[in-house]
Amino acid sequence: MISDELQDSAALYVLGSLDGAEAAAFEVSMQDNAELRSLAAELREAAGAVALSAPARRPPAALKQKVLRNIAAEKSRDLTTTATERPGSGTGLAWAIAAMLMLFSGFLFYDRMQLRREIAQVRDIDPLLQASLVALAPAKGAPAEAKATVAWEPGRQTGVIKITGLPVAGTGKDYQLWAVDADHKDPVSAGIIHVDANGVAQVRFRTIAEARHVKAFAISLEREGGVPKAEGPILLVGSTT
Amino acid sequence: MAKQTRGMQANTAQQKADEQLMARIAQGDQVAFSALYDRLSGPLFSLAFKMLGNAAEAEDALQEVCLQIWRRAAAYDSSQSSVFSWAVLLTRGKVIDRLRARGRRARVISASIEDEGNLIDPTDASTAETAADNMNRNEEATRVRTVLGGLPPDQRQAIEMAFFSELTHHEIAAQLNQPLGTIKARIRRGMLRLRDGLRRSA
Repeated sequence: MISDELQDSAALYVLGSLDGAEAAAFEVSMQDNAELRSLAAELREAAGAVALSAPARRPPAALKQKVLRNIAAEKSRDLTTTATERPGSGTGLAWAIAAMLMLFSGFLFYDRMQLRREIAQVRDIDPLLQASLVALAPAKGAPAEAKATVAWEPGRQTGVIKITGLPVAGTGKDYQLWAVDADHKDPVSAGIIHVDANGVAQVRFRTIAEARHVKAFAISLEREGGVPKAEGPILLVGSTT
Repeated sequence: MAKQTRGMQANTAQQKADEQLMARIAQGDQVAFSALYDRLSGPLFSLAFKMLGNAAEAEDALQEVCLQIWRRAAAYDSSQSSVFSWAVLLTRGKVIDRLRARGRRARVISASIEDEGNLIDPTDASTAETAADNMNRNEEATRVRTVLGGLPPDQRQAIEMAFFSELTHHEIAAQLNQPLGTIKARIRRGMLRLRDGLRRSA
């Protein structure tokens, strides 16, 4: 029997109407509750069906050709990159992240017991199997108390990040998470992250492109809404190795 | 009963077909992607248009979603949702990103409410769909609209506000000047009725 409160949360969750913390809490509730997961799956299908109530409109015929051209170009680019790029080569931000990682003495002093506790908390939220656990430390110019822990599972191409000590990004700005992947020339965006008034965020993320060989994660401060290619300063960074 | 069984079989068969297309797309099969586009582009474009209220932006959003489907096909998990629901939620997320970036919340809420009286539209979803796909989709759309239309108006309104905008339930409660608990209950009851109604009418 699922309580009304959890049914409320399930309905709001599938509609995307819970805020980040509420959604994370609901996901915890689902972890060991098969009946609740089943309800969420049923309601997700009902939510998907709501889209069909939108007045039907016809996309322009030319759009399909444009989409197929984009996809063909992407496939071709991926093949070219694989064939010609030396793994690990990269531009701007990728090199900057690599350089920072080499210079980071912060990791040497990082409280490993604290890191273990942080990782345990992340596992509690989403016990991803076979996840790589990565600690992100503050870069130069970032608040010294800022830090993050990433649990990343390449097989599922999904992860969870927990951030603490990072002030709200401010007007016109957003924090953006990046994965530095050996198969991509530029860091791959993993989305925008909003911290709460206490400087905390805990969210699930996916990269916008497949990232099978992630070497590092980084958070930069970008224009509101995010950018396709990093422009702003790196605030947190950490290596997967 | 016979009609319901046929409907359920058709849904299952379509889901299986979509899953097979996704498996091929994950292998880089552009022909499979073209077929999936034909099946989904109409509803996804309609959703993006309703939320954005602008054809050019809806086209841009659909293009982004298509690239996302192409890139993430390998990550699709059929145990979590059907391909259709997965694509719908990807589209909704993409559109919400655009809405948040452009700060047009008020317009969307207004558009969502104005559309309430215009739920039935017989226009074809896509020129590229096959006649059978088209017919199935139109039947499905009619079925969903009928079930939604059968919900108490306050429940339907709350669900549509939650689905077609980026509002949280806190914001919906404030927008409708109702207690938070009332909004939660309306959405819960409405979603459960919707689920049951869709099951019964399948």
